[in-house]
Amino acid sequence: MNYELVVGLETHVELLTKTKIFCSCKNSFGDEPNTNCCPVCIGLPGTLPKLNREVVNFAIKAGLALNCTINLNSRMDRKNYVYPDLSKAYQISQFYSPICTNGYLELSSGKKIRIHQIHMEEDAGKLVHKAGDVYVDYNRGGVPLLEIVTEPDISSSEEAREYIEKLQMIMRYIGVSDCKMQEGSMRCDVNVSIRPAGSRTFGTRTEIKNMNSVTFMTKAIDYEFKRHIAIIESGEKVVQQTLRYIEETNSTQSMRSKEDAQDYRYFPDPDLVNVSLEKSYVNRIQDELPELPESRFKKYTEVFGIPENDAMLIVKYKNVSDFFEQSSINLKNPKMISNFIIGQIFRNIETESDREKFDILTTPNQLNKLAILIEEGKLNMNLAKKTLTKMLETGKGIEEFVSESDMKGLSDEEIEKLCDDAIKSNESAVKDYLDGKEKALKAILGFVMRQTRGKGDPLKIEQKIIEKINCLFV
Amino acid sequence: MITREEMENIANLSKLYLSEDDFEKMSKEMDGIINFVNQINTLNDQYNLENNSNSNADINKNVLREDEIVDSFPRNEILKNVDGGKDGFFYVKKFM
Amino acid sequence: MCSNSGGIIKKISSSLEKKEFSCTEITEKYIDNINKSDLNAFVNVCEEEALNIAKKIDEKINSGEKLSLLEGIPMSVKDNISTNGIETTCASNILKGYKPIYDATVWSKLKENGAVLLGKTNMDEFAMGSACETSCYGRAKNPHNKDYVTGGSSGGAAASVAGNLSAYSIGSDTGGSVRQPASFCGVVGLKPTYGSVSRYGLIAYGSSLDQIGPIAKTSEDASIVFDCMCGYDSHDSTSAKVDYKNTFEHLNDDIKGFKIGIPNQYYDGIDSEIKSSLEEAMKKYESMGASIEYFDFPEVKSALPVYYILACAEATSNLSRYDGIRYGYRTEKYSDINEMICKTRSRGFGDEVKRRILLGNYVLSSGYYDAYYKKAQSLRSVIINAFDETFSKYDAILTPTSPVSAFEANRKYSSPEEIYLADICTVPVNIAGVPAISLPCGFDSKNLPIGMQLIGPKFSEYKILNLAHQYEVFTQYENNKCLQMGVIL
Repeated sequence: MNYELVVGLETHVELLTKTKIFCSCKNSFGDEPNTNCCPVCIGLPGTLPKLNREVVNFAIKAGLALNCTINLNSRMDRKNYVYPDLSKAYQISQFYSPICTNGYLELSSGKKIRIHQIHMEEDAGKLVHKAGDVYVDYNRGGVPLLEIVTEPDISSSEEAREYIEKLQMIMRYIGVSDCKMQEGSMRCDVNVSIRPAGSRTFGTRTEIKNMNSVTFMTKAIDYEFKRHIAIIESGEKVVQQTLRYIEETNSTQSMRSKEDAQDYRYFPDPDLVNVSLEKSYVNRIQDELPELPESRFKKYTEVFGIPENDAMLIVKYKNVSDFFEQSSINLKNPKMISNFIIGQIFRNIETESDREKFDILTTPNQLNKLAILIEEGKLNMNLAKKTLTKMLETGKGIEEFVSESDMKGLSDEEIEKLCDDAIKSNESAVKDYLDGKEKALKAILGFVMRQTRGKGDPLKIEQKIIEKINCLFV
Repeated sequence: MITREEMENIANLSKLYLSEDDFEKMSKEMDGIINFVNQINTLNDQYNLENNSNSNADINKNVLREDEIVDSFPRNEILKNVDGGKDGFFYVKKFM
Repeated sequence: MCSNSGGIIKKISSSLEKKEFSCTEITEKYIDNINKSDLNAFVNVCEEEALNIAKKIDEKINSGEKLSLLEGIPMSVKDNISTNGIETTCASNILKGYKPIYDATVWSKLKENGAVLLGKTNMDEFAMGSACETSCYGRAKNPHNKDYVTGGSSGGAAASVAGNLSAYSIGSDTGGSVRQPASFCGVVGLKPTYGSVSRYGLIAYGSSLDQIGPIAKTSEDASIVFDCMCGYDSHDSTSAKVDYKNTFEHLNDDIKGFKIGIPNQYYDGIDSEIKSSLEEAMKKYESMGASIEYFDFPEVKSALPVYYILACAEATSNLSRYDGIRYGYRTEKYSDINEMICKTRSRGFGDEVKRRILLGNYVLSSGYYDAYYKKAQSLRSVIINAFDETFSKYDAILTPTSPVSAFEANRKYSSPEEIYLADICTVPVNIAGVPAISLPCGFDSKNLPIGMQLIGPKFSEYKILNLAHQYEVFTQYENNKCLQMGVIL
């Protein structure tokens, strides 16, 4: 029998706010343990939470970017469970009335992955186990999170990968999260079930907790898919349970079964009041939303004529795309910039995370100047590329490397004269060319180019040479 | 009547160990209390219940804090009630 | 009329200014009273700290600076209100040794106003109880008869004021915990409007019901303290941003023409002595020019079960954090962290607290949420609406504070819910979030105080304090034995 995979994702992203969600402690990663703490975030008796406005703003931004309905009335609930990293023994989250519902994220195939809801909540602290002893650090306790929950619309690990990558891209574009899976600022729980192809009902699902890499996530999904099939084919039943993925063996392991499934006893947090938004407030955030990757991609491919693969590479990294946008201002052909970025700049920036940072010495303005000179015909591509290399190395502008006279380019008369000289000085090459050896032309061209010290436009010069040789025999 | 299983479940949720004696006593008391609070079910028909959750907290709406950093507490204060903790952490030994 | 009429705060304050005695002297006197007392009203006495403050205030007086009304007045704070560096235990073993690293807003306000903290007062464990008998420190005793309970949960606070162990005291009221002990001990207790006094630093029991309030000898004293305590606090999202009327300025407003409603249901099944005492009070109000009208208030019948469901649901969540990891008691023997947590809680909490935690988890647990919590919330709005409607007709309503006067200590109950019935007159107020005051209105045949309760609409503290004060003046404080015996120096 053929089975189809059914996957739903619950993704947590840590928000890039300055402070925590319910207190004014710094929201920061990697500090000394328990140094970003106060009575509120270590849950001292008598303390009360106060919701950070920016968290609400970020939730609205994320909701809008994912085509959600923004609920003008929402509320925080308590999710009760006892665990040493959770200082109050409840996590303040949203269960009964989340801030965003009913959205979608569109994959490149055009398939829409529906977003069930997005809600605001607080992160827990961190446990460190050393020789069985437990050490608790509450720096992360109270760091704001958005949980983005899809409908079970994903039907392959590849779709899951694309969904996560697009989600990362969107969150970074709107400045809500840096979505670094390695650092834990993006984490993903995966719900997997299978059903006979074409069936409408759902099978029993298992949940793989806390995936922190896209590659492992796809592997875990593929593994679970096969495992579910094997169970069902052998006549057994899939047991609903929570799993953890074991990287070393590429397999999953049970954390707890349904019998001891948590009963979170959600109820509205009486310490917090309703979040009620004015429509105009949401509209204002909508107006301030930056251009999203989807729309940039369309612009790059359809308007600028950039090949899809290249456009994808630019759009993928917000910093790169922003750099592209700024350096292609007033250009007739922005494609030149994408070629520079992909063909030249990326050559020295190999890792994904470095491309995300896109920490280069050259400014968009400097690259823009260079491109304008090319478009004006004042600089040929060869020289431009060499110059760009120097610019990237030093952070200096084009004027440091190319003189005024260089930038003027060559006059037609100068080209004529240089070509005439070259033909005269390379008689044997001319002869070879006339004998049908196309390659010989390159030698003549090379001669001219040496004379111009790279300044001339090789295409134009080559045309001229051919013209002149042909003239010789008219 | 509250069942043994239910009682075990809520004791477990409560993170409380109950001795066999406590268990019996508490189960009996819980029965009484549950019976007592069950009155609300008989009150159901007397009033026109709107399904809202009007609580005292409704006197305010949208109480939000600006995203501005205030200095955290010194770590020795944070760890004051656990004798300074260990290596800057709250600390629980594996077993005692 | 006794010489303390009005109250003792103004009297102490003016004596300090006139240098009839120094702040150190009166503080020492109170500490001496506390040390000699067997009321068990205090769980922690801050002698050194109190005398240090007193000394500073004496310096201020000697330099000729003017004092504010509460400056230099020795007072006490319930043991569930956080005091920086001073042990705060909620009278529970689980918080033994816990010293907050911050001040509750209400305490920092009072401290700024020169309050002299004598110590922390006894209470029912985590404010769960109506007799101050669930304290891990043992029960507090009623100054009127030590074999009788103080009421609860702020029993230590009420006993300390009634027994001249502090000039006034700060309690908390989730279902009557300020008013009921005030009535049992013959003093005045004010439960303010929900949101008018910051809850920041008050160790939570039922967060949507909890409110801090003063216990004092008279309405005037309660008014002075309340005016200092109330106000918006940015730390508390449920703190109300309103114009707080100065209640002290309204104490002498004419109450002629005030409409006082008498809800029939509050008088069902109450002690006959209490009933007649209340009827006397009604007559007094009529003599003062207010009108009295009986009316039906059937909605309050659901208040008790609604209260126990909501309070316990919230409590169960609020009390889950006591796991021995960050503060307070931690069990000594365990084999893993989960056992450590369970043992710590099983040993740290007393039976009443455990009962309420279990009930809270029952009503919140999967499958029961709709039947209990959700239904209780709906009924809560019915009660809120009923109060709203009532106050469209009446300025205030008058009820007994408790269906009985103080009862004998260590009484055996057939069931916990029998004890819960004692809260029947006080809990509707917390459910609706409205303010109420309890003040003495007579004595029963055992010579124990009887308290009456005036309830007003939200933010009408100035009105109910005015009504209470006018009653005290009109009756020349004859029902206030504590005031009459309250000669201090």
